[in-house]
Amino acid sequence: MYRKQLKYILPFLIPAFILSLPLNAFGIDHFTFVEQRVMAIFVLATLCWILEPIPIYATSVLIIMLELLTISTKGLWFTKIASPDLGKLIDYHEIIGVFASPIIMLFLGGFFLALAATKYKLDINLARILLKPFGKEPKFVMLGLMIITAIFSMFMSNTATTAMMLSILTPVLALFSTKDLGKTAFSLAVPIAANVGGIATPIGTPPNAVALKYLVDENNISFGQWMMFGVPFVVILLFISWMLLCHLFPSTAKEIKLNIDSKFLKTPKAITVYVVFVVTILLWLMGGNHGMNAYVVALIPVTVFSMFKIITKEDLKKISWDVLWLVSGGIALGIALDKSGLAQHTIASIPFATLHPLLLISGAALLCLVMANFMSNTASANLLLPIVAALGASMHSLLPYGGEVVLILAVTFAASLGMSLPISTPPNALAFASGNIKTKQMAKVGIIVGLVGVLLSFAMLYILNEFSIII
Amino acid sequence: MDYFNIICIDDEREVLDAVVQDLSIFNPFFNIEECESAEECLQLLEELAAEESPVALIISDHVMPGKSGIELLIDIQKNNNFVGTKKILLTGLATQKDTINAINNAKLDNYLEKVWDKQKLVQMVKELLTEYIIERGFDYTDYNDILDPATLYRLLQ
Repeated sequence: MYRKQLKYILPFLIPAFILSLPLNAFGIDHFTFVEQRVMAIFVLATLCWILEPIPIYATSVLIIMLELLTISTKGLWFTKIASPDLGKLIDYHEIIGVFASPIIMLFLGGFFLALAATKYKLDINLARILLKPFGKEPKFVMLGLMIITAIFSMFMSNTATTAMMLSILTPVLALFSTKDLGKTAFSLAVPIAANVGGIATPIGTPPNAVALKYLVDENNISFGQWMMFGVPFVVILLFISWMLLCHLFPSTAKEIKLNIDSKFLKTPKAITVYVVFVVTILLWLMGGNHGMNAYVVALIPVTVFSMFKIITKEDLKKISWDVLWLVSGGIALGIALDKSGLAQHTIASIPFATLHPLLLISGAALLCLVMANFMSNTASANLLLPIVAALGASMHSLLPYGGEVVLILAVTFAASLGMSLPISTPPNALAFASGNIKTKQMAKVGIIVGLVGVLLSFAMLYILNEFSIII
Repeated sequence: MDYFNIICIDDEREVLDAVVQDLSIFNPFFNIEECESAEECLQLLEELAAEESPVALIISDHVMPGKSGIELLIDIQKNNNFVGTKKILLTGLATQKDTINAINNAKLDNYLEKVWDKQKLVQMVKELLTEYIIERGFDYTDYNDILDPATLYRLLQ
């Protein structure tokens, strides 16, 4: 009983304690009130995202509101009383603007594409056609399913993709004998592919969007560049996962036949969807050649689909605003840590420089992997990336290993690889609901794929750095 | 986690007990209420509405002394406090006219004949509860054990 209340008490007690301390108690030179408040907000965010006393997107909104109230130029009167220790207040425009930051618009564009694709059955029709070459042998059908799930989750939400694939699978798996391990293999294949597939594009999964916030200026990575390393990574990790599933849960069924009953729509609206879908993705892949960046391109589907009533007022309500807010909160947290100077000051006061850079990269990635297993992937990225970015920028010993980009990408990839528990990601929860998977089985596969994925990301980043590709 | 109500109505105590017994697997997640008449149910609904306690499902008999089951379900259909509440009519004694009335005016979600099959009832309830939770935007992950996966996947696409 006491434990239950702790999750409500701690997130407010500990930040309050931090706020009540005198400035010199922190042992950081030139520590300011603003930095103290940011620290309290950061601790509150961490506790709220881990313990979940309130929904995770509400934590994001809370962060933004607390920042506006306590560290913005338009905050409460007593937070702005002039004092040599006050520190630098942040322009309120910048904080409130996170709700519509370019990164959020990029995601909105992705949501519009996904909604339209589902509404006009583009996804299910593509699935039907793409699955054909994989025949009927369970092993290869599973490989096909994984590849298609991964491709879809690069552009659609991992959750919606998983739901679609599992709904195709459910009637077929019901025909399997109860003891057939193939059921487990298939049910696990879908969420794994969805989780992994999201890594391949900047819009594939929210942690990638959070990372974009820190990959600016000389570290800028375009949509196409991201895919240049994201796709090969996903292909290799999918293949490894597939072999692992085939080995651990061999199916006794001779053949499996997926019935997908649908036809390509040929109405003018449907054709508009196809065209806009292809054009948007091509424009994204072309990078800056046409002068537009990915954020500007993202508004094309938003506009066209709204104009032609492909996404109606009703459909607008189906946009995952909670995901957008969750990312916004992360961006706001990053701004506060950076602009207040807290991130740099704290890092300067801890002797990270004595750490070996490789130890730092692997330590940060593994920490993120562990966090992502127990809490939302996006929240993990929201908390770790601002610190890691500041750390990367200040550590010169990292440069031979690719600098902050490598550190940021390693942590971002790790955030998507936390998938060992039903609570780790929404795709995992959905697959677990099928009743074909035991927690132990999910944990076994999830831990292996997660660790292999992190190691693979190190290898990939090493190659990218060694041959000076992108970074 | 949100705690939902399931209300069962039947004037015959044994039938009521049997229904509640069959639904016992939902117990950890739902509060199962029993009513022996439509009037008792309406009173209970009023109390639940005052507490803002959501009613996910109502399973009602038709022929009862006082208000009939179909009349009760029509009342609930018209009540804005219970938008989206799923309704099952459980009866062996409804005429064609009654049935038409129930479909047209009470917007019945399901019709189950007495004597019912336990498996069928449980499956039906699972599907309807899954629909209710997703349609009303509640967090489905809390109820993983009692949801119907096929319905869940269909609604989340």
